[in-house]
Amino acid sequence: MIVPMEHLLILATLLFALGLGCVLVRRNLIMILIGVEIMINSAGLVLVGASAFWQQVDGQIMVLILMAITAAEVAIGLALVVYLHQQKKSIDVGIFDEMRG
Amino acid sequence: MDILLILILLLPLAGGVINACFGSRMPQPVPVFIACGAVIGSFLACLGSLTLAAGDGYRLVLFTWLKSGNFQADIGLLYDPLAAIMTLMVTGVASLIHLYAAGYMEDEPDQVRFFALLNLFVFAMLTIVLADNLLLLFLGWEGVGFCSYGLIGFWYRKTENADAGRKAFIVTRIGDLFFAVALLWLFALFGTISIEGINAQVSGLEVTTVTMISLLLLFGACGKSAQVPLMSWLADAMAGPTPVSALIHAATMVTAGVYLLCRMFPLVSLSSTAMAAIALVGIVTALYAATCALAQNEIKRVLAYSTMSQVGYMFLAVGLGSVSAAMFHLLTHAFFKALLFMTAGCLINLAGHENDIRRMGGMRQRSPLVFWLFLAGLLCLAGAPLTSGFFSKDLILATAFAHGDPFHLGLYGLGVMVAGLTSFYCFRLAYLVFAGDFRGDELPHEPSALMLWPLYPLAILGLTAGLLNLPHLFSGGSWLSGWLGRTQDVLHLSISIEYLLIGTAIAVFVLGWLLAALRYRKYSERQPSLVGEFLLNGWRVDDLFDLLLVRPFKKIGRFCSQGVEAGLIEGVLNGAARGCTDLGMRLRGLADGKVSAYLQGLVWGFVLIVGWFLLRALV
Amino acid sequence: MTAIMATDFPLLSLLLFTPLAGALMCLVIGAANGTNARWVALITAGIVFVLSLVLCLLQTPAAGWLLYEDYSWIENFGIRYTLGLDGLSSVLILLTAFLQVLAVLVSWRQNHAPAIFFALLLILETAAIGVLLALDLILFYLFWELMLIPMFFLIGVWGYKRRFYAAVKFFLFTLIGSLCLLLAVISLYLLHGEQTGVYTFALEALKQTELSGTQELIFFLCFMAAFVVKVPLFPFHSWLPDAHAEGPAAGSVDLAGLLLKTGVYGMIRFAFPLFPVAAQKTMPILAVLALVGLFYAAWVAFQQIDIKRIVAYSSISHMGFVILGLAAWNQTAWEGSVLLMVNHAVTTAGLFAVVAMIEQRTGTRALDQLGGMWKSHPNMSAFFLLFCMASLGLPGLANFAGEILILIGVFTVKPLWAIIAVVGILFSAVYTLRLVQGTLWGSSCEPHDKQDLVPREWLVLIPLAVLVVLLGCYPQPVLELLREPVSSLLMSGGLP
Repeated sequence: MIVPMEHLLILATLLFALGLGCVLVRRNLIMILIGVEIMINSAGLVLVGASAFWQQVDGQIMVLILMAITAAEVAIGLALVVYLHQQKKSIDVGIFDEMRG
Repeated sequence: MDILLILILLLPLAGGVINACFGSRMPQPVPVFIACGAVIGSFLACLGSLTLAAGDGYRLVLFTWLKSGNFQADIGLLYDPLAAIMTLMVTGVASLIHLYAAGYMEDEPDQVRFFALLNLFVFAMLTIVLADNLLLLFLGWEGVGFCSYGLIGFWYRKTENADAGRKAFIVTRIGDLFFAVALLWLFALFGTISIEGINAQVSGLEVTTVTMISLLLLFGACGKSAQVPLMSWLADAMAGPTPVSALIHAATMVTAGVYLLCRMFPLVSLSSTAMAAIALVGIVTALYAATCALAQNEIKRVLAYSTMSQVGYMFLAVGLGSVSAAMFHLLTHAFFKALLFMTAGCLINLAGHENDIRRMGGMRQRSPLVFWLFLAGLLCLAGAPLTSGFFSKDLILATAFAHGDPFHLGLYGLGVMVAGLTSFYCFRLAYLVFAGDFRGDELPHEPSALMLWPLYPLAILGLTAGLLNLPHLFSGGSWLSGWLGRTQDVLHLSISIEYLLIGTAIAVFVLGWLLAALRYRKYSERQPSLVGEFLLNGWRVDDLFDLLLVRPFKKIGRFCSQGVEAGLIEGVLNGAARGCTDLGMRLRGLADGKVSAYLQGLVWGFVLIVGWFLLRALV
Repeated sequence: MTAIMATDFPLLSLLLFTPLAGALMCLVIGAANGTNARWVALITAGIVFVLSLVLCLLQTPAAGWLLYEDYSWIENFGIRYTLGLDGLSSVLILLTAFLQVLAVLVSWRQNHAPAIFFALLLILETAAIGVLLALDLILFYLFWELMLIPMFFLIGVWGYKRRFYAAVKFFLFTLIGSLCLLLAVISLYLLHGEQTGVYTFALEALKQTELSGTQELIFFLCFMAAFVVKVPLFPFHSWLPDAHAEGPAAGSVDLAGLLLKTGVYGMIRFAFPLFPVAAQKTMPILAVLALVGLFYAAWVAFQQIDIKRIVAYSSISHMGFVILGLAAWNQTAWEGSVLLMVNHAVTTAGLFAVVAMIEQRTGTRALDQLGGMWKSHPNMSAFFLLFCMASLGLPGLANFAGEILILIGVFTVKPLWAIIAVVGILFSAVYTLRLVQGTLWGSSCEPHDKQDLVPREWLVLIPLAVLVVLLGCYPQPVLELLREPVSSLLMSGGLP
């Protein structure tokens, strides 16, 4: 393995932190979705790295499933975003607080 | 024979129930026939079964009403001389009054209800008379209360009538409570509520217990018989139709208290304190009611107060220990008071439905016949010599005199005074109603024949019923005392004392008459004096009760419903509910619907958990 | 445990589940057509009534269960399906079934979702019968809670203006009580299991559990929490007037006739025999609450304007009488209590039925707007007068028979209680006569509907009136049925 495992983990952690930061900070729904994607991908990266490290295919299988789920999720998520935009002419999360107690 | 005895009770019950259920579906005169037939049938059955009652009487148990643990109450009849003479009077007078009522209520559209209630009343009254245990007696006791309620408020469209009925029900029920407690106590003591059983076992009791129970019974009797202090309902009860006043509030129901005390006499007589209390209640009521009668303006109210006063005499007799004197006066009074009420009904009709004696006058010209009938009744009531009222009242007073001690002599003195007052108000009534010219402006409404002819037998009975218990002085045999098996009630006074007593009675009667004649022979419009006002309102007892009982009751009611129910209980509940709501309102701030806030919470929660585990691992 | 009548046929289960089956039928057949639902409900209720009448007639005065069913149900937890029928339960079941027929008839004209309405009534009947039959505590609890649900909806959906408030209040009150009951049941089960190694919810077995004084007291109070709320005893009564005033007529009939009775039944079947020592220790408190409630409710009733609320408060007052009888803890008083419970159910059902008819005709229940009903509706008024007289304890009518037995039973133990209670009879006269005065007498209030009773209403009122008279004049059949069960319950509670 050319790249040491530690580097890989640090990169994944950084990516996850960036994604989380994006989700927490941004108010644009699309940007939040992108943040979620980045977090998922950082997890995928760890899975691939672990797979290479232990010479087992399980991790790669998981990543394939993950990619399929992500695709589905993005499809639904974007559809919802479009729908919400139609409703309120905006995709600012602050507006969508109907679940307020 | 048994069947006759059952029929006495069953006929009025059946009549009442049939009329109540189907009366309104029958063609008009049929319910009236049923009602009158039932009572007359009952009277005949009573006549037929009279022989059963002689001696120790006859006991008949129909079925068990209530049985639980060692408590048992039967539907059972006790037909002894006391019950028999009372039954005979009740059914007899009731028959005549039913016939009278058939005439009196001719134009009344709601006749069926009237006759159903009247029949049920007779049934309940007979239950009191014939019951062989106290619980069954209590059934009749409350039953007459209910029927009286329904009949006083018969013309319910006027709220005053309905209110008078309610007052009668509630005030008499206060008395019933005492009776009920006495019943419970007697059962707890003897394990039985049979009248014979109790009376047979009383001798072993402690005197204080007997006194307490007797006083309870006395209060019970006071309620039904309108004696002090539970008397205020009777005058208002005159709101009912006149036949009702005659039957219930003169001849039968108000004497139920006397009957009860006679029934329980073996128990009551054991306590001299209780006997004195009974005598006192009697004489106080007699005096009270006689004074009230002096100032009344409505013909029926005068009669109502006179009833109260006469029942007071009966109580006095019981308190003096003379059951036969009490029963004697009860019988004679039933005859002449029923007569008086029914003729008063005719007079009211003749005066054009006018109740007020100030607007009567000259009624003799309108109907001499009614005049003579009413006068017969009044003479009996006033105790004119040789009428029945004279003999029965005299027996009571003589019995008081015969006791000889200061207390009883005092009672005698008061009794004589009441007799004088009675004579006075009787003749006041007579002069105001009959003398002079008619002062009203209504046209007469002639009483029908059906209303008149039941009056003749009553008038004859009223004038001659003295024969029932004629004393030795008049060469009589005191038949009633003998029939009741109470020969000890027969007085043995010296001839001179007897003449003295009779002389006093006659003197008092004449005195009352003369005074009344002086004052009322010529009618003059008078402003009622302060005393008159006071007497007119029955010594303002109603106001006193209102102040002492009704208002506090209402006040507590308001306190309970507004203070406790709406204030305290609802307050606590609403407080708890509001507390929960407030807590929720505070917590809802946390869920503001912002996705980022939720995510932050998620992250911070995660950090906290991880931090906690790290801390645990490190420390 | 053996039954007197040996039969393999599950008669009790049949009795228990017939109404439930009827409820399903109602929903299926009646969904499209309300009339079908009515008829299904009426026929089902009728069948149950006939069945329970037969069971009552089969009942012998001997001790023990007439019928007994026992199947294993959830074995892991020792929960069994145990049903037993003795004189006490058969009397109360007969009452339930009888009133249910009337409840269906009373609400015959219910047009708002009739299928669901009648289905709920029938479910309520199953639950009430289940409570009266169950001898396994979990089974009992299940039916106990099941009563709550239909009643909640009956009040909350078919009620008057403040129906939701009333329904929630009713639900919360009874639920809090029942949760205490559930806690106590489970703890008792665990304790008994620890002591004997046998984990069971069977009533007979749990009676043998050895408890310390404090434990017993706590358990007893938890049980009583559920029962006194249902009765309801002062000061836990606040839900009842609202539930009555806001609920539909059938709901009131069922509340007064079924639900209140289960509280007393729970006491004498479960709470007292399970915890006799604690029960006898707390009796004076119970008696005092009963007496206070007796007068308090009478006073509040006297102040009400709404005639339905007057009847509701009179219920509370009468139930105070019933509880007082229980507190006396002797045969006569207990028989009187159960009898008064039955009589009160019949009387009050009659009162509520007539009140509903009055409201239908005049559009109001306010005492100050009513009056003179006798003029326009003599027959209806006559029935009303009869029920009122029964309610104020006129001898010869229903309530008196129970009251006098209670008074006699109480007087032999605590004369003072009885004397105070006697005054309560006067109070009932005061507020009941006010009710009569305001509705029947006086001048007319011009009801918009001049129609006196229609045949359906005759059908409701005549049986009630006959029963009121019959139970007052000849309550012996009921008392005979009660004698043995009551005496054996007293025995197991340990006569003082």
